[in-house]
Amino acid sequence: MNIVARGTYMVTPLGEGSECNYEALCQGRSELKPRPGVFGLPETFVGSLLPRDYWNRKLKDMPGRDGLTLFEALCIYCIKEAVGNADLSDSDTIFILSSTKGNVDLLETNPDDPRAYLDWSARKIAGHFGNRNTPVTVSNACVSGVCAQLMATRMIRSGQYRRAVVVGGDLLSRFIVSGFQSFKALSTDVCKPFDANRTGLNLGEAFGAIILETTDHVGESDWVYVASSNHNDANHISGPSRTGEGSYRVLRDLLKHVDATELAFVNLHGTATNYNDEMESIAVDRAGLAQVPVNGLKGYFGHTLGAAGVIETIMSMHAVDHGAIIPTRGFSEQGTSRQLNVTDAPRATDKKAFIKLLSGFGGSNAGICYRKGGAE
Amino acid sequence: MEELINQLKEQIIEALNLEDMTPADIDADAPLFGEGLGLDSIDALELIVLMEREYGIKLGNPAEGKKIFSSVASIADYVSKNRKK
Amino acid sequence: MRLLKQVEIQPGCLNTDGNRIDSLCGLSLSEIYRKVCNGYPKFFKMDGLCKTGFVAAEILLEGLTPEQKAEGSVILFGRAGSLATDRNYENTIRDPENYYPSPALFVYTLANIVTGEIAIRHKMQGESSMYVLPEYDSEAETRTVQAAFDESDTPLIVSGWVDYENDDNYQAILNLYIKD
Repeated sequence: MNIVARGTYMVTPLGEGSECNYEALCQGRSELKPRPGVFGLPETFVGSLLPRDYWNRKLKDMPGRDGLTLFEALCIYCIKEAVGNADLSDSDTIFILSSTKGNVDLLETNPDDPRAYLDWSARKIAGHFGNRNTPVTVSNACVSGVCAQLMATRMIRSGQYRRAVVVGGDLLSRFIVSGFQSFKALSTDVCKPFDANRTGLNLGEAFGAIILETTDHVGESDWVYVASSNHNDANHISGPSRTGEGSYRVLRDLLKHVDATELAFVNLHGTATNYNDEMESIAVDRAGLAQVPVNGLKGYFGHTLGAAGVIETIMSMHAVDHGAIIPTRGFSEQGTSRQLNVTDAPRATDKKAFIKLLSGFGGSNAGICYRKGGAE
Repeated sequence: MEELINQLKEQIIEALNLEDMTPADIDADAPLFGEGLGLDSIDALELIVLMEREYGIKLGNPAEGKKIFSSVASIADYVSKNRKK
Repeated sequence: MRLLKQVEIQPGCLNTDGNRIDSLCGLSLSEIYRKVCNGYPKFFKMDGLCKTGFVAAEILLEGLTPEQKAEGSVILFGRAGSLATDRNYENTIRDPENYYPSPALFVYTLANIVTGEIAIRHKMQGESSMYVLPEYDSEAETRTVQAAFDESDTPLIVSGWVDYENDDNYQAILNLYIKD
């Protein structure tokens, strides 16, 4: 069975739309900057934030906007732009939401706000399109965006549905930023993935949607799902495995379905924390991919939590569409124990497949592989 | 110093949820991490919060705290010299 | 696939395979922990959601060897996720005069940590996932488990429902499946 990505859309502080964001990356742009006083936090953080006023204004007159939070409205907006006029109300379509914290900011004013439950948001989003299947929310911390795609492909492959709407997003808040600050995980500068002088991650806001569908005919320009995998390190709830075990196993699984020589690149998690990037370098090396180009996009978008797996997959598709490998913004000097082929400047590629890898709290690791134009 | 050590032991037990432990169970000179009490990286971060909340001492990161947090006695020594409250 | 065992826990009630275990009914999660496990002090650092899933998994996986569990998966469903801890964490940052965000609480403000705690305890390096649904749906569970067996190499899956609102309102329905 072939599953293809029929439409994508994303919203980040760099722009609206997949192509527009890709162009921003080509220009090396980023909205990561110091945010003194934002969310009333005593400590300044570097982050990439959606302009709230602009989005509140823009979505104000969206049909059905009443009763939706900005979080839900942004998810709906991305889905609408990704599908065009397609009807999503049919029983063959399932909605899958990827988010770590949804409307958690509402707890500030009311600890019992029912909208803080993730299933509330998922039902609002699916309900907006008149879809009556119970939507699923994947809440697997930082790996959610890839796990949502994994869940989607399994639901289609098992014959339950013909189409899955995967939407991922998170808005930053006092809650989320203070937590990462308490973890001493944030860099006070723009992050430097895989670099010798990396000092931590930056947080960012983004929303993205990918529509996956089964099809009998794969066109040359179609993005085809190849494989996905998920493994737990079984080591520690917040510290990545020293041996890269989970991520290594994910890569090993994926390489059963794609040959390393087909890979344009492996798009890594690359949060720019000391431990994550070191762990990934070990996992990639162990999987025999040390020569394959790797890159990370957190230097453009920051870590966008529930959106990361979705928007980084979309950007990887666009890069291959353009025959390019996106450089790792912020990287200049190799800073991991294993030498990787980190892409530090725009590079051309004629290869047609890529892997998107993620890892996160809870010992989770997940990866997905897509290939353009089907089997070679 | 003895009093501060006992107070710290109680605060550590409370902050790190060391159920079933009493101050008498903690050897002030024994290592807190690794063997010893077997504390981990999240405990180290929580100790940083404890230092600030109880004693007004700000530590930038766990690496800075590493030496200070090697034992209850070393924490007591640091607190007595640097406390702001 | 085959269902090998079921454990159900809620306040005042503990069943395995539908049979009430009188010796454990009416005990708090910590009291159940002391009876069925002990010697894992990290339990006391966990939040309510993790404690609920952890003790249910202890009983569910009792007697299995490390080899049987090594490639096992933990695929759970729930509604509230980490909301109970979210509320507690929010209390550490609400008041600017008493602002001490707690990393030990923050790490539990992710719904999937319970899957990680079970995976770590039992050294299970298969899949781990947390899916949020409005209510327990055993059909969705079986379909998800079947798909995981079909699409990965995992030979054993702990699946089911884990939900925690407070000490008077929590529920775990954990099922142990093996691939035939």
